[in-house]
Amino acid sequence: MRLNRRKFLVTSAAASTVLGAPAILRAQPSEYVVAASLPLTGPFATAGQLVAPALRMFEALTNQDGGIGGVPIRVTAEDSGYIPANALANYQRALATEENLVMYFGDSTGFMKLVAPELRGENARLMGSTSFASELADPASNPYQYLPGPSYEDQFDILLNQIKDEGGSTVAFIHSNTEFGRDPLAHGRATAEELGLRIVLEEATREQGADIPTHVTQLAQSGADYAILQGYVTGVWPQLIGGARQFGLPTRFMGTFWGMENAIADRVTDEAGPILDGYSGVMPYKYFYDPERGPAYERFAAFQKEAFAGSPLENYMPTWGLQALFSLQIGLEALRRVADKGLELTADNAAEALAELQDWDTGGFFGKPVSMVDNKIGTGRVYQYSAETKLFSPTSDWFTV
Amino acid sequence: MITGNLKSSYAADEQVLDNRWKRGFLLACLAGLAAIAAFGNNYVILIACQMGIMLIAVTGVNVVIGYTGLMSLGHAAFVAIGAYAVVIFHNTAGAWLPDSVATVVAIPVAVAVSALIGVIVGLPSLRVKGLYLAVATLSANFIVIFLIEQDVFAPWTGGMNGINTPAPNLLGWEMDTRREQFVLIAALAVLSLLAAQNLFRTRVGRAFIAIRDRDYSAEILGISLYRYKLMSFAISAAYCGLAGALFAYFYARILPEQFELDLSLMLVAAIIVGGMGRTMGPVFGVIVIVMVPEVITVLFGAIAGGGAELAQIRAPIQEIAFGALIVGFLLFEPFGITHITDRALRALNRWPFARG
Amino acid sequence: MGQILQFAINGLMSGAIYALIAVGLVSVFKATRVVNFAHGYLIMFGAYFYFTFAVLVPQAAWAPEWLQSWRPEWMLAMRADLPMFSPMAAVLDWLANLPRIVLGLIGALVCNALLGLLIERVLMRPLMGQSVFAMIMLTVGLISILSGAAQLIWTSDAEFVPSLAPNTPIRFELFGSMIFLFGADLANMVIALLIFGGIVLMVRYTKSGIAIRATAEDQSTAYSMGISVPRVFSRAWVLASTTGAVAGAILATRNGISPSLGLFGFSVLAIVLMGGLDSYLGVFVAAMVVGVLEALTQWQFGGEWAGIVPYVAVLLVILVRPYGLFGSKEIERI
Repeated sequence: MRLNRRKFLVTSAAASTVLGAPAILRAQPSEYVVAASLPLTGPFATAGQLVAPALRMFEALTNQDGGIGGVPIRVTAEDSGYIPANALANYQRALATEENLVMYFGDSTGFMKLVAPELRGENARLMGSTSFASELADPASNPYQYLPGPSYEDQFDILLNQIKDEGGSTVAFIHSNTEFGRDPLAHGRATAEELGLRIVLEEATREQGADIPTHVTQLAQSGADYAILQGYVTGVWPQLIGGARQFGLPTRFMGTFWGMENAIADRVTDEAGPILDGYSGVMPYKYFYDPERGPAYERFAAFQKEAFAGSPLENYMPTWGLQALFSLQIGLEALRRVADKGLELTADNAAEALAELQDWDTGGFFGKPVSMVDNKIGTGRVYQYSAETKLFSPTSDWFTV
Repeated sequence: MITGNLKSSYAADEQVLDNRWKRGFLLACLAGLAAIAAFGNNYVILIACQMGIMLIAVTGVNVVIGYTGLMSLGHAAFVAIGAYAVVIFHNTAGAWLPDSVATVVAIPVAVAVSALIGVIVGLPSLRVKGLYLAVATLSANFIVIFLIEQDVFAPWTGGMNGINTPAPNLLGWEMDTRREQFVLIAALAVLSLLAAQNLFRTRVGRAFIAIRDRDYSAEILGISLYRYKLMSFAISAAYCGLAGALFAYFYARILPEQFELDLSLMLVAAIIVGGMGRTMGPVFGVIVIVMVPEVITVLFGAIAGGGAELAQIRAPIQEIAFGALIVGFLLFEPFGITHITDRALRALNRWPFARG
Repeated sequence: MGQILQFAINGLMSGAIYALIAVGLVSVFKATRVVNFAHGYLIMFGAYFYFTFAVLVPQAAWAPEWLQSWRPEWMLAMRADLPMFSPMAAVLDWLANLPRIVLGLIGALVCNALLGLLIERVLMRPLMGQSVFAMIMLTVGLISILSGAAQLIWTSDAEFVPSLAPNTPIRFELFGSMIFLFGADLANMVIALLIFGGIVLMVRYTKSGIAIRATAEDQSTAYSMGISVPRVFSRAWVLASTTGAVAGAILATRNGISPSLGLFGFSVLAIVLMGGLDSYLGVFVAAMVVGVLEALTQWQFGGEWAGIVPYVAVLLVILVRPYGLFGSKEIERI
């Protein structure tokens, strides 16, 4: 190959780009990307579709506050259909195509467990999610994933203790046949044994479209005093309770976070009558309609009135949206602290900053300042639904596990 | 214009790649793969690896459906068996072997186990044909996945929650980045395609083709249906097992639900779109089946710009596109893309004398 | 002992629904020699159409009030004194829903029949005479199209739909233990059995039924006898889609509307093959047997094992009787 002037210029231009590249990269990025996988289709589509606008609100409010260290953020969401492999593909695509991806929001317990072994080195990012699975709160082996509340195992402990206090003796575990549904069962069994409660039924159902009559007859045959429902979001739990009430079963039902949404309970009460009266469960946050809501909720309310007028989100943010917002808030806080210290926004630095979230005032999500211990925030309350007021009201103080 | 494919020695006649166009094509493909490995960005490598793994599996499906004519809708089960065999091997016997050797032993073990199970699943093919065989293999798929998910086997398979997989380690070369794994996958994919093409020049391959065309005639001519049908299932299961092994090495964790009916139907769709009974059929089929969802995703990304409203119709559109591809090809081009390329090459060959 | 009976009765009820789904499959096969792998998704569409006409249409702004909930004075008076879940209250609630149930059923039947006709004309006609593989794969492709289309039109949501019959809880003692039944389930079973019986009688005794059987036996002879074979095909598909619509409505009231209704199609496919592709008696027996086996498996081993029962059953039966329990042997002409 003959070296003439054109070839020389081209080669030196190429060489200088390569050599100069690190210098270019170290300059401030124009934006940080937060990517999310949401179940916009599939069994939990209703929840996913309500969370998507909440993410937009998060982006707008964060950028109003100056983003992360002065750099604005961009939030993108993709659909996963609640299939972990699809969510994994979304994550890999985001990693491969987005520069400056700083945080990811996962959509399911299954996905979080599937992606955990991949979060090494280059492929690691701070990762929040919809899941409260206890396995994820393990900073030793899984430092990048965290829970925005008490784990399902903790929630089961609280409920089982409540059952013991109220004098119950037999419990049924009715759960969906997903990772989400199965997560706390082993621990729940152990706790029940410790407390002297007898588990008379462990029933696996589909997470959507379950065969209600069969499951209700199983419950009836087992004769349980209490039943804990785990692994449902919008469906199956109201129908199970309705079916049990139709048979006049005296069983009292309790649920965990994803089954504590007021909008669903209201819709069921409207359509089928006051069957959910007395239903209780663990919810880590204040409800949006809480009379003592803090500045964060007020800000959301103002934004929603403007931006989401005419949609169901105009005056109300469901618990699913609050969970997503808080989960992202935790990650944002960690990233901001890293940026304030002047460090690079790597996943390792962010994971370290997570552990430093102690006695943090969240602006109204909780009734008191919370701390991140072992990658989870173990604070919450027990609420009970009243069909008259159509609201969930707290029946306990703020506990911390 | 090829005027003749004339040979002057027996050795030349027996070559797999017997003219310079075929050799040139293979070299071009190898060069293309090398270029992808060297210069492709992460996204391209990701897609290419997925295509490579699927290519090996679809080649296997081509053997049993395209060349032997036995309808099997359950081949995802063999992919699952290959994947889990690798993981179980690494966790049990492989723990005694040094790391560098474990992978080299695990892959043939996985292939052998899949072939064995393939023989078992193929047993119904001796009794039933056509539709009944399709449903029998479908049931086998459900049953295998069901067994993997059971808690009884959870200590080995991880049950429904899946299990972590090791990274491949080829005699000391620890392949923990996608790029390195791509080299392994691409090499194995090319080799398996060449092996499949060679298979159909041998007696075994001709027996398969005879069974496809008219099985009782084949039997009359002395081809033992029992032996060759089971061999066909075994070989295709072996290919799928190899694909499963690579699948396990590629993803850090595997879930049993990744190997359900959807994967089986995707494999069969790929072979329909690509062309059954042809070597290049799996290649075209895999390219179309993997690229179409990605193209739709990119299009939606460009139109919607990350907003979630449009994102929620992306998954249904991908499904409809998948179904429309199958239906469209069956109605209008039942011999697949290889038929289209055949016609194109023929026209090219005869140009400018005959058009079309 | 009583527990077994409870589950056996549950099994019979689900078996009746499987039989209803299967009758469509068998009719289409008898007439056209095509097995519709996408039948489960046709049923899902029927369920969604029922949902549209029974829930969405009455909720629309232009629909009259009484469509949503028909509560005349006398009903309100009767209802007021009754406790929440008494049988009479359930009957009255059902009466209040009756207008929209009827609208829902009519709408589902009509729309699903149109869908069946469309599929037959556009997709199945061109494939007449081609290989078994081509027809199976076409219906497999149809699965994806129907599934995606349903998600596009109605986003997935588990909604309540009004059940077809009053949902009174029924309790009685039998051999010393309590049996719990939902009245709606019993009514659904009766409806399913009646429709199944009606179809079998229709195929036996009416002119169109005889046309179907003639086409099933020998298409060219049927042509020469003056039977319009393409019309027989359309009729068979319409029959399948309308029974599918009723089955879909029943499944929707039992399990709630969701895209997973389509998965019933695969287990019913296994049942149909187990019973014999062209035998109504065979599929009836197979459906009942599988229904009871599934319920008993659920009782003993839990819900997950119940899902695998149809597939194990079909494998075992096929290995012993390759054409199903009562199916007719396929004669291959050399």
